[in-house]
Amino acid sequence: MTRLVRAEWTKLFTTKVWLGLLLGSVVMVAAFAIFFTSFAGDPESGLPAVGTPLYEELILSTAANANILFLILGIIGMTQEYRHRTATPTFLTSPRRGRVVVAKLVAYALAAAAFALVVVAVNYVVVAIHAGARGAAPSLDGDNLATMAASLVALVIYAVIGVGLGALLRNQVGAIVGGLVYLFVIEPIIRSVPATAGAYKWMPGGALEALTATFEGPELLEAWQGGLVLLAYGLLAAFLGTLLAVRRDVV
Amino acid sequence: MRVEVRGLTKSFGAVRAVSDLGFTVEPGQVTGFLGPNGAGKTTTLRMVLGLIRPDAGTATFDGVPYPDLPDPTRTVGAVLETAFHPARSGRNHLRVYCRAAGLPLRRADEVLHQVGLSDAGSRRAGSYSLGMRQRLALAAALLGDPGVLVLDEPANGLDPEGIQWLRGFLRHLAHDQGRTVLVSSHLLSEVEQTVDRVVIVGAGRLVREGSIAELRAGAANGGTVLVRSPEAARLAEVLRAEGSQVVADGDGALTVTGRTAAEIGSRAFAAGVELHELRPHTSGLEEIYFQLTAGQEQFAAPTPGVPAAEGAAR
Repeated sequence: MTRLVRAEWTKLFTTKVWLGLLLGSVVMVAAFAIFFTSFAGDPESGLPAVGTPLYEELILSTAANANILFLILGIIGMTQEYRHRTATPTFLTSPRRGRVVVAKLVAYALAAAAFALVVVAVNYVVVAIHAGARGAAPSLDGDNLATMAASLVALVIYAVIGVGLGALLRNQVGAIVGGLVYLFVIEPIIRSVPATAGAYKWMPGGALEALTATFEGPELLEAWQGGLVLLAYGLLAAFLGTLLAVRRDVV
Repeated sequence: MRVEVRGLTKSFGAVRAVSDLGFTVEPGQVTGFLGPNGAGKTTTLRMVLGLIRPDAGTATFDGVPYPDLPDPTRTVGAVLETAFHPARSGRNHLRVYCRAAGLPLRRADEVLHQVGLSDAGSRRAGSYSLGMRQRLALAAALLGDPGVLVLDEPANGLDPEGIQWLRGFLRHLAHDQGRTVLVSSHLLSEVEQTVDRVVIVGAGRLVREGSIAELRAGAANGGTVLVRSPEAARLAEVLRAEGSQVVADGDGALTVTGRTAAEIGSRAFAAGVELHELRPHTSGLEEIYFQLTAGQEQFAAPTPGVPAAEGAAR
């Protein structure tokens, strides 16, 4: 299994996809941090002021906004095998296909953890500098560290969901477009329509909000419950993906 | 290591791709797996390698199915298609499979050298020519130094020099190193000089299995000879009189079946007929192959000039 995990890392780091997604994530969270901090305390924006605990929880949760890029990381990691037809040599080398998918899940979870650490660190540094200039940099106390850890965990789980989703759909463009449409169209509709808003807390986006932080949001689960629901989605996608990868013909 | 295929059957929807197919591939020989396009060769090879699940039947390596081999990379090497990530270098592509199979990374450079790609190892595989891609696929198959090699149409995209090299390489692997080599092709002429045995399939079924020598013996009388003479009509009469099959092609040319060029020359000399050309046209082996597999393509194109219905009824 260690061999297969290392093989996945060799695949990941011998093309430049990881670099693009990591840089994209860093730019994204830095931009969010600056944007939020600029309007913090502005009565018209409704954002809490710099220095308040609510501000610090919100701003340190913006790192989790890179979730879409971590989802794409996982999707590409799995679907590139089908897109470039390398599933053939991969499954010839490891005919027990379930082990390949499990190795991918482990490899991408660990790689995503390292990338998420960078993203969370960049988020904190940008916030510390910007908010510091505006009066009060957030300290690295227990609450703030817990918020950052929650963002990190959320990003890792989204990468795992991406691998599972990729194994399910196999089509790279389809899986990415499907993921984007779901996160940016379908879930926001469910979230905002009163009749369906009650179900939102059980969906991946609602679980993510519960795990990290929310702002003027609907009813959500407790943070730990949200984390478990999110993890359950990741494992479900991975399990179904493994099952299908093992059963389907590689033609 | 012996490869044994027994009763393999696979349908894709309503299309029966492979039907109750069985054959054996022996070590120390190059076995040609022949058949027209769509005869089920690739499907069969993918079932042998555990990539496609057969509806029925088995394929084993010394009794063990591919997915149960304890160390598949060191046992079987396969060239199925040129599959690689275009942005990854050839060397890194090979290193991925070194890692997965627990082989030392230097094997990547060794096999690159073996197939003559050492200088291109650092280049993006997407920039490779068709022939280089085939060589990279072959290099990947050689990583584990396997006792069995399975190659699906490896000559596709190779230039004449590359094909020449591949023939020598496969013979060397089988005859000098005692490996088991199974190589598929839709052209008999492409592998005629390389293979020791042939397994011929048509429409997913076994048509013929045997040594190339046996096939050749059966084909001895099937060859055609082209003859050109100013007295073509008289020569045709002479040859027909003693049982040869002669077709007049016009313009003084004749196609004679069932006689060697020497026999025809001797008859012409005896009859005092002047010859301007005397040339073996087909070896007969190809004729046999064509007869064995004619009309067995899964999606046969209608013969030009023949109405579609008639073509389909063949």
